Amino acid sequence: MEAFLDFWAAYGSTVTFSMVNAFFALSTYAVLSAGVLSFTTVTFAAVGGFLAANMVGNFGLSIYAAFFLSAVGGGLASAIVATLFLRLESHWMALASLALVLITRVVVLNAPGLTGGVYGKVVPMSISQLDLLILLVVVTFIFYRLHNSWYGLTARAVREDAAVASTIGISPFRTQFIAFIVSGIVGGLGGAAMAFTLQFISPETYFVGMAFTMLASTVLGGSFHWFGPIVGALIFTALPATMQAVVPAIEDVAKGIALVLIMVFLPRGLIDPRAVGLRRAAKLREEREKRAAGENANG
Amino acid sequence: MYLFVEQLVNGWAIGSLYALFGIGFGLVFSTLGILNAAHGTYASWAAIIGYYAVVWYGVPFPVAIVCGVFGGGIIAILVDQLGFQPLRSRRVGLLGAFITSIGFWIILDSLAGFATGQQSLAFPARSYPNALVEIGLIKVSQIQLTIIASLIVVTVGIHLLIQRSRIGAAMRAVGWNDLAAGLSGVNSRIVILLTAFLAGATSGLAGVLGGIATNNVHFSLGEGLMLKGFAAVVVGGFNDVRGTAIAGIMLGIIEVFVAQYISTAFRDGVTYTLLLGFLILRPRGLFGSASFVRA
Repeated sequence: MEAFLDFWAAYGSTVTFSMVNAFFALSTYAVLSAGVLSFTTVTFAAVGGFLAANMVGNFGLSIYAAFFLSAVGGGLASAIVATLFLRLESHWMALASLALVLITRVVVLNAPGLTGGVYGKVVPMSISQLDLLILLVVVTFIFYRLHNSWYGLTARAVREDAAVASTIGISPFRTQFIAFIVSGIVGGLGGAAMAFTLQFISPETYFVGMAFTMLASTVLGGSFHWFGPIVGALIFTALPATMQAVVPAIEDVAKGIALVLIMVFLPRGLIDPRAVGLRRAAKLREEREKRAAGENANG
Repeated sequence: MYLFVEQLVNGWAIGSLYALFGIGFGLVFSTLGILNAAHGTYASWAAIIGYYAVVWYGVPFPVAIVCGVFGGGIIAILVDQLGFQPLRSRRVGLLGAFITSIGFWIILDSLAGFATGQQSLAFPARSYPNALVEIGLIKVSQIQLTIIASLIVVTVGIHLLIQRSRIGAAMRAVGWNDLAAGLSGVNSRIVILLTAFLAGATSGLAGVLGGIATNNVHFSLGEGLMLKGFAAVVVGGFNDVRGTAIAGIMLGIIEVFVAQYISTAFRDGVTYTLLLGFLILRPRGLFGSASFVRA
């Protein structure tokens, strides 16, 4: 118990931040699992974060109401973004979403009334770890249900091949639109969670660094299963903290090397349902061959 | 009027840096299909290499530039061979290469931080030509003229290389379809190395010149160039060097004029709005061709 408390004192905040990052990773996964590479989660997070900060700070709403509004705000923002972006081809959409991240920062900088501009905004409330955990579990449960629903099936089909999917009556636009909405809602929640965890948000909070972190966590953990992003976020947040304990000077370098190595050796990520399936199939085949060999020997 | 012309030249010089930087980024994207987040760090490293060449060995200005350019090119080749080469056989596509490039971005960025001691360095004032040259009405600094001239030389050079030479034809072929190019006898290995080197070298040139012009060699020097260079490439069109050059200059001039006549607050906003507008309304850019398959 003592050891656990020591661990918690040292790494409690790391756990909190990995939970926050898990929201962003899940939001990125939501669109990625429908075949869309997009950084717009940052924009949804900024909407959610500043909305939550304003609701709590200026209107004195409770933290739960703020979370709800952030989710709604993120969802609305994603509806607008999806309408604009889904007409583009995939590569251009990735670039356009990166451009949107850059614009988000400019907008945040130039709307000091809502966002505090350059000086950022102090958030006068914080969220308990338990609340955050419950929220994450609820969101994860929704992803689990989505994964095993008709929507999950169509999303995987669209991701594999949109043209083939549309020949069997799946509308890629509709699927990806839903994916964007899910991404927006979860991104908005994550943005609010980030605001309540950091208790100070500025234009730099929701910028390119965040975009890259969330995408890296998602791909690192595996973008083919809902559990992947959560694992990825945990590793990608914990990695720098542990590296700091082991090799403080080159913490960032080690993080980069780890990222490159994982991409080179495990390009589909850590959690890969296909690899599990392949292993199971190989095992089955082996057993069958063994049995067949045994029967031949007997007969 | 006087101010107008002077700002025009300022904008042109800044835009030339964006374009120089963007050319390599666009080249890698259209030929190798990689969205390279580490492209900015080549510029930072080239500036750092050039700086230490001057400070430690007292080399003259042109040699410092050559050092930076080759340094950038070699780093680009290393990144390509270590990070992107293992991915090519696996066909992980845009995403895998992009994540790997983020990894290299983090590595090179923090190493550059060590190399500069997390500080902002400046080239010694006597180490580069900085006299004012009188052209008609206005005075222009030599370093601005160097930047403007470099962009013209690089653009014409790379354009001729891609459009007129055999290796340029090979590069276009690999960009269009690397498998088909390989089947018809194009050595894609050489094309990959050459493209990576050219990208690193042009980015390095922008880095060294930018470091001198802004009097600031810093590990995050490349990041600022990255965002604007990216805008220049998209607005100009990915598969045309001339487009990138013109769009870069245009963006530089717009930026300076917006800051001068409207408000500095809108400077980046106008650039990025143009960027997003082009991506949504005309994704192939001003000069890109419609039959661009890769993207």
